[in-house]
Amino acid sequence: METRLSATATPRNQTAPHRSSKSYGFSRRSLGVELTSRLGCTPGQLTAVRIPTNRGIPKPRNITEQVDPEHIALIVKKEWKLSYVTPLYQFGHTQLQSYSRQLAAFLAAEKQQGVAVEVGQELGFKVVFTAVLGLAETDDDAETVLIQIHSKSAFAAEGEAAKLTWSGWLSCVSGDVEYLRSMPPDFTCLPLFGASGAESLTTLVKSWFERTFDCYFGPLAINSTNLEWLAALWTGCHPDTNIRYLKLAWTIPAQPPLDVSYTVHPQDAWELWNSIRQESGLRDTVDIEEVSCFIKGLESHLFRHFRIYLSAGTLTKVSTTLGSAHQDGKIRITSSDMMTSVLALLTECALLKMPV
Amino acid sequence: MDDSTKQVLRQIIRRIPLNKLQNMLSKWEHLSKKQLRSLEFTQPKWLLCDNLLSICEENDLSMKHVTELEIIYRIDHPAQGSWNVCQLIDPEEEAVTADLLHFKQLFKAHLRGLISHVSVKTKKHEDGAIWIRIAWGDNFTQPNHLKPTYVVHHLQTPYVFVSGLTMKHKPLLHQALVLSAHYGGIKDVHLSGRCLTALRDLLMRQYKQVFPVKHPRLLLERSPLPSNPNIQMEHAKHAENRLQMAAEAFGEGILPKLETAVYKLETRFRENGNGMLGRREEPFRGVVKFASSNLLESLKYCVSSGMASAPVTPLLSSITQKGRNYFVITDKGPGASHTPGPNI
Amino acid sequence: MSLLKPLNKLPELNTANVLLVENEELFQKKLADAIVLLENNVNVIVRLARSLPLPLESRPRIDLVVFIVHLNSEQSLLSAEASLKHLDSSYFLGKVCFLVTGARCGTLPYERLTSLKKLAATLNSPLLMTEDRTTEGVNTVAQRVLAVLRVAAGLVPMATGLYLSSLTRCTVPTDPDWQNQD
Repeated sequence: METRLSATATPRNQTAPHRSSKSYGFSRRSLGVELTSRLGCTPGQLTAVRIPTNRGIPKPRNITEQVDPEHIALIVKKEWKLSYVTPLYQFGHTQLQSYSRQLAAFLAAEKQQGVAVEVGQELGFKVVFTAVLGLAETDDDAETVLIQIHSKSAFAAEGEAAKLTWSGWLSCVSGDVEYLRSMPPDFTCLPLFGASGAESLTTLVKSWFERTFDCYFGPLAINSTNLEWLAALWTGCHPDTNIRYLKLAWTIPAQPPLDVSYTVHPQDAWELWNSIRQESGLRDTVDIEEVSCFIKGLESHLFRHFRIYLSAGTLTKVSTTLGSAHQDGKIRITSSDMMTSVLALLTECALLKMPV
Repeated sequence: MDDSTKQVLRQIIRRIPLNKLQNMLSKWEHLSKKQLRSLEFTQPKWLLCDNLLSICEENDLSMKHVTELEIIYRIDHPAQGSWNVCQLIDPEEEAVTADLLHFKQLFKAHLRGLISHVSVKTKKHEDGAIWIRIAWGDNFTQPNHLKPTYVVHHLQTPYVFVSGLTMKHKPLLHQALVLSAHYGGIKDVHLSGRCLTALRDLLMRQYKQVFPVKHPRLLLERSPLPSNPNIQMEHAKHAENRLQMAAEAFGEGILPKLETAVYKLETRFRENGNGMLGRREEPFRGVVKFASSNLLESLKYCVSSGMASAPVTPLLSSITQKGRNYFVITDKGPGASHTPGPNI
Repeated sequence: MSLLKPLNKLPELNTANVLLVENEELFQKKLADAIVLLENNVNVIVRLARSLPLPLESRPRIDLVVFIVHLNSEQSLLSAEASLKHLDSSYFLGKVCFLVTGARCGTLPYERLTSLKKLAATLNSPLLMTEDRTTEGVNTVAQRVLAVLRVAAGLVPMATGLYLSSLTRCTVPTDPDWQNQD
């Protein structure tokens, strides 16, 4: 269980759609309902997926034994722009070849219409859908699907191989078991979508998915709480893999906006994290309090020097050599060891956006 | 015109935006009016560049002329790279009376004495500053005109602004500067930024400064007052104090445009209560970087809006007071928490 | 520490005093202008403050304290929490209300709104979601604040702040999970 980042405390209740009230360590996302009914405010998104307040300690592990290293190589090191995707209707992992043909045809047709693309740029498309087996952590997770688009530019020489111009993936790692099990039979939940490549192609791929599988794509932001989780998660790995640095970046809403970045020496960052962990008795799980204590500690160290309230602004980016994450939903995972942990965290963010 | 000259010209043309090109070429004064008129500035740049190259070939222009175009453009648009500032120290008697021509000759001679292949070009700017373009080579290679170093110096001031200098050439330049300007030494002042005039204004205090006064009534007039008599400010006095403090630390009106300030922290971990890392003696290492399109303006806003707590820490006010934006902070010394930084 | 008390001064005739507390001082002026413009029958006086306690000066009785919290800044919430300590407990009988801005923004941590809601619920005070970017939004919230203010200042016959707040106060969802918290 330790290797799983989330859902350690989720009751593994097969049938009952209602949670047992004994579950702990979760807080329900607050809903603006009780007030809205009386004063006519707009309610927020309704969801029954809960936000974990503690997680198992992620252990870096070598996933190359389970997952094809070539597939991992395609996912690491690129910067991905994240979106959330609502469950796909009648999506089948056995149909990937047919999807490849359909998407290629769709792209070619859309390009010829001249919608939202540069004229004469890409004419022929080769689309490859691949199932990345082994990334799923539980039996309820659907296997990750990788999409690659190769295209040839109009000016390419005869016989020149088509270049990889766009890639993307749909994933679900350690998704909330209860939510996944409550899914009607025809739906596949792959809530996390990452895209890397031309924006115009991303839009086209999204619209093909939306038409074919009756789903919806929305931008996935990584809020400061999750950025803090990632910072702690990466820092905790330092004894196993050198993180080189821990960099936190804030934006303060001054006029003009002020960017503050703090690059912490990796050993010192780890010692601070470790001292917080020691204090709370080195349990198997990490509490949100410990994570925020860590970030607050760094913030107040800076405050003592510069007397600027960083909490007046927002944490926008965290990075180490293991990866980076930006508030606007851009991530980079450089180490395959931590890939499942990070994907699990992001899956959770995406699931919070799912309709109930 | 040889190939390297053509290459340099192409690079210069590539850097100049199309809408400024015509103006630059006419300032350059190496094309006849007729030739200038024959150029079509609506053409794509590569085509325009080809046409220009053939005209230059016709006029038999050399590297010397081509680099002149670059220097003209750079003087007009100094914000093309990062500028570092050095300060000449221990002036000799001649330093006060040095004149431009003399300095130019000495500088060229000294630099050529230090390194065999070097190309130096100077130009006097309208504001009295001397602009020096240096293309470095070494004992076996010709000067590389694609990566020149720019040096700007106002005679009679100790400050020298340098852009595009590599570590390798730093000692050579410094030695040549010290000798030709009649100073005893040179040091880095740890100030850098893209805007040359801002760096100069900051060092020479050419911005509106505000000094502590007993009755800061003047500021009150500037603070926005409520439009309606039924609206009352409870914290008007506090707001006024913050404005005064912000102005005292960072100045007033249009502030010099600095982009960054970097602090290397090597202080003990300090944090309110909790005793995290409490017994740790070693410094907690890290680098803090503040960045903004106008840093002083942003910091001033932070103080005046209350996003920074009063009073302004000496770490931030040192940017204006000491005229530098790179600091190394250690715990050494009682009271003063920052010491001069080492060489970057 | 000087506590702000609601009943240590007599009310003035046909006058209502509202105190807008906002750490950022970005929205309060806009809101104050809107409130003053909207009300014609009653003499409404809006006082603007960054935080409590207020400077030691004489001021009329304050009928309603409004805390403006911007969800995009943690500092905003922290400052409001700190200010609350300087209010006399009798203010929480219908003379306090919270305004929240930015709840629509997708990049915010959900925990912030949750903790604010818990805060408002434990203090039996209403929490109003506000749109601060549009004139329409500002006017709407000005109207709401005025409605609460009129009652809190005793200008509406047969209604009291306590009565109104029992209807409008923020409540936590009646969810088994929620009650297991803390």
